[in-house]
Amino acid sequence: MNAPLRPPGAIAEDRFPATCLRCGKCALACPYGSIVLGDLFDGLDLMGTPIIRPRKKPCYLCMKCPPVCPSGALQRTTSRRESVKMGLAAIDHKACLAWQETLCRSCYDDCPIFDRALRMDEQLRPVVDQARCVGCGICENVCPVEPAAITVRPGPGVSS
Amino acid sequence: MTIRLFRRAMQIGVMVLFVAIPLLNRRGISVLSGSLYSLAIGPVWITDPAIGLQAILTTRAIDLTLLTSLTLPILLTLIGGRVFCSWLCPQNAISELVDSLAGRLGLQRRFPPPITPQARYALLAVVLTATGLAALPLVSLFSAPGILSMQVSKFIYEGRVGPELALIGGIILVELFVARRAWCGILCPVGSVLSLLRTPRTLKVVFSEGAGRVCTHCRACARACQLGLDPVAGNLYPQCHNCGECLDACKIAKDQKPLDFRW
Repeated sequence: MNAPLRPPGAIAEDRFPATCLRCGKCALACPYGSIVLGDLFDGLDLMGTPIIRPRKKPCYLCMKCPPVCPSGALQRTTSRRESVKMGLAAIDHKACLAWQETLCRSCYDDCPIFDRALRMDEQLRPVVDQARCVGCGICENVCPVEPAAITVRPGPGVSS
Repeated sequence: MTIRLFRRAMQIGVMVLFVAIPLLNRRGISVLSGSLYSLAIGPVWITDPAIGLQAILTTRAIDLTLLTSLTLPILLTLIGGRVFCSWLCPQNAISELVDSLAGRLGLQRRFPPPITPQARYALLAVVLTATGLAALPLVSLFSAPGILSMQVSKFIYEGRVGPELALIGGIILVELFVARRAWCGILCPVGSVLSLLRTPRTLKVVFSEGAGRVCTHCRACARACQLGLDPVAGNLYPQCHNCGECLDACKIAKDQKPLDFRW
């Protein structure tokens, strides 16, 4: 499996599997059931670790999980949703309805960093602001195209 | 009142607790949260010392919050010995049940051969070294109490369980058909780390005659010990986890019992 999308506040993926205790407290804290725990098919290093699969359920940035982490695999001080760097959304222009001149603004409407991380350009096509996108995956979740035309690539996580 | 009565109440309480935690957390009540890897009781965080040690080995760094959360279990163990194992651990409860079930079914099993402290710690050293080298939390994968409490949460939240549960199945099979109580008595890395936390004043079962205490050598205590120990012969360390079954089994009047818990 490729690098997974981690909850907000996660440290960089190269250190995450060694730091996470697999205790599951973050998943218990998540009110939306967005955090699932990896299993053997995700690889021995990801088994038991928190993973977000945004097409099934994205992160709604409630910020309840970082402060409960006992190991610091999720940096406990992460509290501002704008400071999260779970990943970065990218739009496949060939699949996106708006970029194919069909009116659609699902991702734009639901982006929690509204009108900043995702903006509509003059032709009413969504554009990602790479500096502001937090990677929560709500856009990927609501995209009406199958498979989603906007997807989140994980990383880089918080720097320490 | 027997010790066993209190112990059973605690064991059942813990099992109920770890079903209640995910059910309550899901409804937003999260005063209690976590698993037997790491637990939060309000603002008080408690982490299994074996898991804390593992984190230091895998990250080669010390997280202060994690370190602080080791205080309570370390103190409990220094004072009471491995009471976590005998009084709280759900794997011990399951293994006790499996062992008495196997006895009733008349399954032929033996105790694993007696093990020296050195052998137990050599085994632990292998697991810890592999954990450090692989920089992966192998102790977590071999922590039966952690897995049990976690997988209940996972089942309640996700409607499925993980492959980690295979360890529990393996332990049950081995203890049913091969070696009695091999996991808690010898193999468990969580228990091994707790065994290391010991002072000369740590609670233990002591056999002593004299001053009105007489042993009739009926061997009821040795038969009662699920870990295959003989309290009269001594040498209970590091396997004994202070469950108190031997004291309950001793039929001599209370103030004349040659067996006692002592600090």
